[in-house]
Amino acid sequence: MAAYILRRVLWGLVLLVLVSALTFVVFYVLPSADPAQLRAGRSASPETLAQIRESLGLNESLPSQFWTFLTSLMLHADLGYSYFSGASVGSLLIDRLPATLALTLGALVLWLLVAVPVGVLAAVRRGTWVDKLTTGGAVLGISMPVYWLGLVALYLFSDDIGLIPLLPGAGAYVPLTEDPGAWFAALVLPWLVLASTFTAVYARLLRGNMIEVLSEDYVRTARAKGLSERRVVLRHGLRAAATPLVTLAGLDVGLLLGGAVLVETVFNIPGIGSLSYDAIVNADYPVIQGTVLLAACFVIVANIVVDILYAYLDPRVREA
Amino acid sequence: MPHSLVRAILLGVLSVTAALVLAACGSSGDDGGSAATVDSGKDGRRGGTLTLLTSQDVANLDPGITYSSLDLNMLAATQRTLYKYAPDDPSNIQPDLAAGPPQVSPDGRTLTVRIRRAVRFGPPVNREVTARDVKYAIERGFNPNVANPYAPQYYGTVVGADRASGGPIAGIETPDDHTLVFRLTRPTASLLAEATILPLSAPVPQEYARPLDARSPSDYGNHVVSSGPYMLEADRDGRVLGTGYGPGRSLRLVRNPNWEASTDERPAYLDAIEWRIGGRPGVSGRQVLDGEGMILGDTPPPALVKRAYQDARDQIVFSPGAGNRYVTLNTAIPPFDDENVRKAVAAALDREQMRRIRGGEVVGDVASHFLYPGVLGFEEAGGQEGTGVDFLAEPRGDMELAREYMRRAGYADGRYDGDETVQVVGLAGAPDDANAQIVDQTLQELGFDTNLRIVDASVYYSRFCALPRARVHVCPNVGWIRDFADPQTVLNLPFNGAYIFPENSPNISQLDDPAINRAMARGELTVGTDERASAWAEIDRMVIATAAAVPWLWDKQPNLSAEDVRCVPQLWNQGHCDFSYTSIE
Repeated sequence: MAAYILRRVLWGLVLLVLVSALTFVVFYVLPSADPAQLRAGRSASPETLAQIRESLGLNESLPSQFWTFLTSLMLHADLGYSYFSGASVGSLLIDRLPATLALTLGALVLWLLVAVPVGVLAAVRRGTWVDKLTTGGAVLGISMPVYWLGLVALYLFSDDIGLIPLLPGAGAYVPLTEDPGAWFAALVLPWLVLASTFTAVYARLLRGNMIEVLSEDYVRTARAKGLSERRVVLRHGLRAAATPLVTLAGLDVGLLLGGAVLVETVFNIPGIGSLSYDAIVNADYPVIQGTVLLAACFVIVANIVVDILYAYLDPRVREA
Repeated sequence: MPHSLVRAILLGVLSVTAALVLAACGSSGDDGGSAATVDSGKDGRRGGTLTLLTSQDVANLDPGITYSSLDLNMLAATQRTLYKYAPDDPSNIQPDLAAGPPQVSPDGRTLTVRIRRAVRFGPPVNREVTARDVKYAIERGFNPNVANPYAPQYYGTVVGADRASGGPIAGIETPDDHTLVFRLTRPTASLLAEATILPLSAPVPQEYARPLDARSPSDYGNHVVSSGPYMLEADRDGRVLGTGYGPGRSLRLVRNPNWEASTDERPAYLDAIEWRIGGRPGVSGRQVLDGEGMILGDTPPPALVKRAYQDARDQIVFSPGAGNRYVTLNTAIPPFDDENVRKAVAAALDREQMRRIRGGEVVGDVASHFLYPGVLGFEEAGGQEGTGVDFLAEPRGDMELAREYMRRAGYADGRYDGDETVQVVGLAGAPDDANAQIVDQTLQELGFDTNLRIVDASVYYSRFCALPRARVHVCPNVGWIRDFADPQTVLNLPFNGAYIFPENSPNISQLDDPAINRAMARGELTVGTDERASAWAEIDRMVIATAAAVPWLWDKQPNLSAEDVRCVPQLWNQGHCDFSYTSIE
């Protein structure tokens, strides 16, 4: 197992270099915004532009720029500085990460807490009104664009512009250390919005898996042995049916930790997603590189964790 | 999708939009919001914290670098330039750091400015501002680590500026602590006096800033020192990054403890100004309309403009003089190298429809030339009536006249029948993309085959319209905002042949008319306000006559504020609420 994990980690490092190179090509080589021109404005002369390019290091050759970035990262853990604010990219990421972590993990807890019982119930009550209701709700949840849902949630429930003032609205986020109560209240609506689509998907997925698992021979055997239905469903059925959800949850969390851009933007939560969006708009290449690498890291780590969890949940994988 | 279907759908959407907006904004007996609320800011209530909601972060905190209008709004509260505009007078400069009017020598080659006494820098510098601080501020603009875009343009005629790279400039003299003398190689002292309203003339303490300017790029912006009534909250070392400024998150202005009210006309009623950065203008706008103590830093979406105009008239200001908008036609490549073809496009374009899409008459006046209200020379160039050219006489477009011009260009049936496919590049986002589509449809009605691309604002100029080698024929979403009231700042860069660059070219039409270029060279050296207004008004007429670009709107910028905010708009800067004059009731 240790050797397996080590191989996965080393391969993850290789992937990070490849992702970094690909990001470099996309933003530096292919047609995109010019940070020097954005900084200089339309009145700047060619000489002024050249000066700005030199000060930002953009006058060097592309391979040289990439090599400088790679060596700084590998040897000094230095992601460079924002063209815009001059802040170190590392400090920006550290500053923004707590908000994204809070948003993602809170939504994860919420969607699992709802999706699992809903999925189990729909499978067990298959064909009944309960199943139909949950299926309809799932279709609705999957169909509603997150951005639109976020706006609707604000216009309905935010305490400043909502029809039914219930919860803090956009821009209310404060760090946990500053005011835990306000922190929590500000995240309720974003959690609900972000969790909605995932709840629907996971509930549908679990329902399908449960139906399949509950028709297996070993489940029939468990019933025949006189085990309670509750024990059959939860211990024997759910454990097997939930395994694919673990894989999916790992991937989804990894992706979201790279930035739930839409939700962060609508609710003005200062997370990695809004940081990456601003960086793209402003052609702030060092920050773009930093956010992409961070997202890739999370996905890679999530994959490794999921594989380990999978082995724990499914003995067949462990013994393979 | 067939063009006819596109047009039908587009017109249907436009009709609905227009009906909604016109019903809201065009009632009889209504001036259509054509006049901004002119407020001098007197007798405001002291105290309170104003919150500004904006989706855009500041471009740069360094007064030697920034140029965006929102940043200028912030700098107007924290920096004292030699001269400034009062919020209700966007045309006449007034002394700010200067003690009196600028003294221009009869030959126009010397500008003398006396500095007020007892103006002090904020923490951590804390000392009196001297003329040498202004000298250093301007000199650092030529430092490659700062690279101010306006330095060569407006200070380039100072003796020694052509060789400047951040070190002393011989032509900026400080005979004593409170006197500045600019010696120029050409008689441009009047223009230079106006140009000192730009933040580059805000004093910078050399002993504090020089080590920061030695870094590439300069780090002074993250340690900026105030000379105005407010300052960015900073730590003990003066570092604002992480204290008063969180990139992409927040910015906080607090009172400058060293500001002397007796040296400044600004009343500075507010205790603090907080910026909340991020979020969407649609949501932030509603928060402002329904909230307290807030203003919006963004352009509100049309639906919100309508709501504010209908239900909260006191909370919206339409600031005139917010710039112009025009369609550029590339004069360097066929088919728009033919003046008659360009005039045909100008005649055919329905400029009323272009305006209607954006919200109707409240958002601006249909333009007929490039100098716009609030810029000197506007009236002399024809004012609201226009310059008198026939191809811009009809704001709704005149297709018959357009076809006549096409026939003059050699197209017998009044429609283009050549081989060129016209490349049209428009701006993404409503309503700019709709404006681009109208221009595209107009071109098709004249017989052109077109290829319309809609691109993001971040690449619109850098990869397309301001890049001559991209060979874009038509750019429908171009505009220009003055640097200050002088008309040269509106016409020179966009239409002078000397400003066609291989990249970041401001002259997007690539107009290179020798007569116009000569007129501009003469205009640059003209002395006297009235004389300059007349000279540049004539240049405006000359440019219009070429039809190199089709003006279609003189912008009025809508600005939202909460009910309890007495917003004093900066008419010289897009109508943003001036922090130094605005109060909370």
